[in-house]
Amino acid sequence: MSAEFMSVYLLIWPVIVAGVLAVLVRAFFKEMMAARREGRPII
Amino acid sequence: MQLQQLGTPLTIFLLIMFFGATFVVTLSIGKKNENADAYMTAGNNVGFGVSAASMTATWIWASSLYASATSGYTYGVSGPIHYGLWGALMILFIYPFGRRIRKLAPNAHTLAEILHARHGRASQLILAGSNVMGSLLSLASNFIAGGALISIVSPLSFSSGVLITAAGVLLYTLWSGLRASILTDFIQVCAMLGAVVIIVPAVFLASGGIGVFETGRSNLSPEQLDFFSSDAFFNQGAPYIAAVLAYAIGNQTIAQRLFAVREDKIKMTFLTATVGYGATVIGVGMLGVLALYLGVEPINGDMNNLVPQLAASYLGVGFMCLFFIMIIGSMASTADSDLSALSSIMMTDVYGRNIAKPGCANPKHMLFIGRVTMIVATGIAVYIASNRLNILELLVLVGAIWGALVFPVIASFYWPRVSNLAFTSSVLVALAVFFPVRFGFVELTGVSAYVADVLAVFGVGIIAGLMVFGFLGARIGIAVGVVIAAISMPYGIGFLHTYPVLTASLLAYAVSALVCTAVSLANKVEFDFKQIRQATGNFDEEPVLS
Repeated sequence: MSAEFMSVYLLIWPVIVAGVLAVLVRAFFKEMMAARREGRPII
Repeated sequence: MQLQQLGTPLTIFLLIMFFGATFVVTLSIGKKNENADAYMTAGNNVGFGVSAASMTATWIWASSLYASATSGYTYGVSGPIHYGLWGALMILFIYPFGRRIRKLAPNAHTLAEILHARHGRASQLILAGSNVMGSLLSLASNFIAGGALISIVSPLSFSSGVLITAAGVLLYTLWSGLRASILTDFIQVCAMLGAVVIIVPAVFLASGGIGVFETGRSNLSPEQLDFFSSDAFFNQGAPYIAAVLAYAIGNQTIAQRLFAVREDKIKMTFLTATVGYGATVIGVGMLGVLALYLGVEPINGDMNNLVPQLAASYLGVGFMCLFFIMIIGSMASTADSDLSALSSIMMTDVYGRNIAKPGCANPKHMLFIGRVTMIVATGIAVYIASNRLNILELLVLVGAIWGALVFPVIASFYWPRVSNLAFTSSVLVALAVFFPVRFGFVELTGVSAYVADVLAVFGVGIIAGLMVFGFLGARIGIAVGVVIAAISMPYGIGFLHTYPVLTASLLAYAVSALVCTAVSLANKVEFDFKQIRQATGNFDEEPVLS
């Protein structure tokens, strides 16, 4: 395996993690705003 | 190379900030309407964002980050995959069973409680007992990870680190139980995932970047350079597949989130947690591969030092603080889940369904029992952690014991002919076979080796069949199980017994499946699954308002 392949193989995971984090944060704040509008706690 | 230290004042400051922030967040949880059911299930109505964050945070624990890096360091480029990918896929494979369980018992609190409704006390206590054992060990393991980290990055001792982390987790979990655990999981998952996004590339670049993979290639054996290493699969991947499927079924922390999430969000929650867990754990595991290329030797030969050592070698104070929060976050998120799980088991399975008279469980007593359980469990876990027992080995053992439970538990939720006798006898016989093989009391040679291999191959078929069964039903599941077992047979017979840890786990699956099936076939009485819903209702009369 080339050094370039190994570098991509190592760095791809933080990129995927960043994507998941974005999904989670977006969903959380959406739920928080909805809960606030309806006057109830998020959980 | 000199290791970067944070120093005592900065370490204490970070811990106060972390646990202080999580505690402040729990103060937002309404306490006036706190009740026993909400303490255990958070009202069964948690949204996708919070649930997925919580599921991800719970499944990622400090030991899994260290173990993935160890796997990368030991087995080379495929090592992190053989830890993280299988662990992630198990969340996915457990999803269809989760939906079925939730459909059968929408208001349940624990898996063992459902087994009580399905079979009776013996089955319930077998599962509850194994859950208590697993959660206590998991709790201790997380405290050890916290103590070890604090002792490496600061002048504080290991014991002080264990005590600080235990007190911090107990502080915010004690009052609101699962709701505190789930809500704080969001902050913890942000800290963990955010840190992985920054730290993995930072260590890579600081240690030399792309050039490391050129210059360090000679540090790896051909097997470690092989992406399809059979050594990595048979020593790490295969036993882990067997153990993790059992973990997902037998672990109350996952079941608890399954009961908490809104029913229409179960699929999205499980899918997101699968990707989040896999990428995070494999990403940190790549630090182990990097350490291998760099020729790093773990301090004192202890693999648990590898990741902190790498961070302390290549990161400055700012990144070290991030790294510190990542590990403390992973530790705390799983530890608070374990405390919630343990309290639910004691509240529901010990008091609610066994000590209190039917229909007379006092929710106030339950809350008190739950909180006392958390304090006692923390004390026991601190004691275990302080004595530095080999927790990972014990956890693998518990996972393998859960292997004996997987088939009987799943079959109990789908097949009406599975009886209490079928469940308990299959688990006990499987354990009776598992222990002598696992601990080498029976030498696997000649006929015994042959029999073990045949059964182990059958166990491979059972695992494959169960995974497919959840998604595609019994016929296809059985067909896939038979095909996989047939394909494995020529390779497995004469070979599998040379890996006793793997063989013992596979035997647990195979024997429990065979006995459970045989006893169930002899039983002509069919169970009405509708009874489960009625027998697993709420303890509180009033619905949860806050």
